[in-house]
Parts: sequence; structure tokens; C-alpha cells
Amino acid sequence: MHIMEGFLPSPWWEIWFAITIPIVAYGIYRLTKITKSHPEAKPLLALMGAFIFVLSALKLPSVTGSCSHPTGAGLAAVVVGPGITSVLSLIVLVFQALLLAHGGLTTLGANTFSMGIVGPFAAYAIWIAAKKARLPTSVGVFLAATLGDLLTYVTTSAQLAVAFPSNGGIMGSFLNFGGIFAVTQIPLAIGEGILAVILFDFLAKYKGKLLDSLKVIKLPTVGATGRQEEGQ
Amino acid sequence: MSHSDIYTQIDRCAYTNRFAKTSPTTKIFFALSALIISVSSTSLIAPIIIFASTTLLLLYFARVRVRLYLFLLAYPTFMVTLSCLFIALFFGTGQPIAEIALPWFNWTIFRSGVAMSIATFFRVEGAVSCLFFLVLTTSVTDLFITLRRAHVPKVLVEMSLLIYRYIFVLLEVTGKMNTAQKLRLGHSGVMRRIRSLGLLAGNLFIRTLEQGERTFTAMNARGYDGEIRVLEDMPPSSKTALAGIAVFDAALVVAVLFTMNIGVV
Repeated sequence: MHIMEGFLPSPWWEIWFAITIPIVAYGIYRLTKITKSHPEAKPLLALMGAFIFVLSALKLPSVTGSCSHPTGAGLAAVVVGPGITSVLSLIVLVFQALLLAHGGLTTLGANTFSMGIVGPFAAYAIWIAAKKARLPTSVGVFLAATLGDLLTYVTTSAQLAVAFPSNGGIMGSFLNFGGIFAVTQIPLAIGEGILAVILFDFLAKYKGKLLDSLKVIKLPTVGATGRQEEGQ
Repeated sequence: MSHSDIYTQIDRCAYTNRFAKTSPTTKIFFALSALIISVSSTSLIAPIIIFASTTLLLLYFARVRVRLYLFLLAYPTFMVTLSCLFIALFFGTGQPIAEIALPWFNWTIFRSGVAMSIATFFRVEGAVSCLFFLVLTTSVTDLFITLRRAHVPKVLVEMSLLIYRYIFVLLEVTGKMNTAQKLRLGHSGVMRRIRSLGLLAGNLFIRTLEQGERTFTAMNARGYDGEIRVLEDMPPSSKTALAGIAVFDAALVVAVLFTMNIGVV
């Protein structure tokens, strides 16, 4: 769920920029380092960004206005690390504002925080935890995608709640927004989870081929033998 | 006009409108300053003036197609109307203006909630019109070259330009795969649709990686040394235009300051 252009009043859009910028700056630092030492990573990372955009443009059935951004960003987080994913997400969100009129420039900070930072970091952390707990790959993927998706919407609800207080205070307003989102987002998150499982299943079949083409960035995701490395 | 080709529509408009050859710096300065004033404004006057003037500039001077502009405006207007109804009916504190005793709870509508919703509606409409001004008159390439001149980190600008290029490449591939799936009844039923989407995403991901490999080879063959250079052929910004925009902004700020204490409701 993108917060649309102009929806957040001052000072809230500035505050979300202030929170997002240091994290994205860290991502830019990592990106600069990787593209310096591995120039071949640059087109690959750019294609990951385009992949996130295109995946988000494909609609899941039955829920209008839905968006598969979390799945794309989650996959990117697992493959290239959440830091770089936050930068890619920021760029993707700029293009969604510029080419689709979805989201906006002043709400870029808030949207990047919920969809480019909280979602991917959560998905990454859940994925690692599921691997440590030796859960089956498909369960780990499902949990990472579904919970990462839900956390994104919890974050969006919280961002709206602090900006638009209601009679019940920030908490009451959080429950108001959360309640509305829950109706549409819980089925959507489960759909995203299933989508991610199918996607990873498919990628597992092509694992050998993938690892061949991924000389720079190891894909640690598929199968028990995959290695875990953040970016490189 | 379907939702799927809206990218191409916007992109084409950015290259063909009458402001396409105007200095991007001027256009960005106008759009961003109006956007910030619109979003920070505490009264309704600034968003209304901004909405009117950007619409006039776009439709009359830049000759943007009315249909495209209205199509773009429809979605945010619909969303913001829904959100604002929701805010007006359930949000706010302090002085109530209506109390409805329902069997299960007392529903109170607050004056501050209604005021908040009206302010939000106009703020969004004003801001969205600025965003559309930028999007419909300035091409993405111009935008990023200007950002590079403004010392935005190089790697960020290069990434953006590459991503921009690949979005269109991948969209084409995706469109073909989607049609193929549809023809083979891949979209009959919700579960099958999710499965088809998963397969499409997987295939797309592999295509993405292969394309990345090929692109690197192609770039290497053309002497890639870790930096991507783009021809910067930019028209200079006109001092008169910049001064005019500054006066417009200053007038808006004065208007906002004068109308700050006038309540919305």
C-alpha cells in the first residue's frame, strides 16, 4: 500500500525522510563498494531493481490495488542483502511515482521505510531464522514473504496513525487503519506467501544454472546447501 | 486506455509535450517548490491556486492530452475521496458536531476530523498536480542528468538510468509471457493464477540474470570502465522563468501566511 502524494502533512513526511536517509545512505555505501570491486554487478543489480518494479506491476487476482512489491523486494533482500535492497526499492518507488503516478515524492521517505526497509529486513531476518531452526525451505519462504508483507502494512498503518490521530489517540487510530487494511491485506499476504513458494520452487529446479550465472552474488536461498552471504 | 500501458503513455508524453525542450532545471524547480508549498500549507488557498495553475500550464501551454491528464487524476482522486470520508467520519478529537446513537456504540463525528479531511483532500490534489506536472513535461533521462549535476551520488543516478532502461525491456517480456499463459488457460481460477504468476516471476528472474550477464559483456566490449557516461545536451535555464517562478512561490507563501488562521470548517 503506497501512501499517496501529499497525504502526509508536515512534519510527518519530513520525519520519515530523516529516518530513511541514513539507512539508504548505508545501502549506497555498500552499493558503491560492490560496484567498485565487481563492475559486473552493476547491470545485474539494476536488473534486480527492474525486476522488483515489473513484479509489482503484475496484479495478484481478486484484490484491487494490490501490489507484489514485497515479494520482489523480499527476494532481492535474500539475494543481494537488505541494505542494497533499500536503495533499489527507493529507486523503484521513484519510478512508480514517475511512471505510474503511484505513491509520491513527498511520501517517498515513508513509503521507502515501510516497503523498502521494514519489509525486506523482516523477510531477510525471518528467512535466516527459519534456516537456523532447520524448517523446510518452503515453510521458511512462506513465513518470510507473508510476515514481511504483513509487517509492511503494520508499518504503513502506524505511519498513518501518528499523522492522523483520532479520539482513541494514536493507538485508536492505528487500530482504525489497521482494521481497514487487515480486510484486504491478510488474504493478499497469504497469496504473496504462496506466490513466493512457487517462485522459489521454480528457482530451485534451475539452481545449477543460476549459480553459474551468479558469479558475483551468491543465491543463498534455494536448497539446504545454499550458502548465506549478504551481498559480498 | 488500460492500466498496463500507462507507463508508455506517460513516457511518450514527457518527450512530446511543448515543454519537452524547456530546461529541466526550471521545470523541476517549479514542480518541487510548488509541491513543498502545497504539502506544507496550513490553509486551502495554496493547494487550490497550485492545482489551478499546474492544470492550466499542462493543458493549455504544454498541450498535454486532456484524456491522459484526467485518467491520471482519476485514481488518486478516487483514493483520496475514500480516505477523506473515512477520516471525516471516524477521526478527530475535541468538539463534536454530530452524535449518532447506534445500538452498539455511540458514533461521534468531530469538527477537527472534518477539518482534517478537507485539508487532506486539497493538499493531496495540489501535490498530485505538481507531481503530474513534473512527470508529464520532463523525461526521466533529463531528470536524472539534472540530479547528477546536483551532486546526487553517482552510483544512484547510474543505477536509476539502467533500471529505467530495463523496466521497459522486462515489461515487454512479461507482457508476452502473460499473453502466452492466458492463451493456455493459465488464468482460469484464483489458485491457477497465483501459480502462473509464480512461474512467470521465476522465469522473469532467470531472464533478468541472463540479461545482466549479456549486458555486462556488451558493455565490456564497448570499453566499460565502471562508469556510465551519458551525453548531457541540456537547454540552459532562463533567468526570467526562474525569477517568475520565485515570485509565484513568494506570493503563495504570503497568501498562506495571511490565511493561516482562517478555520477550514
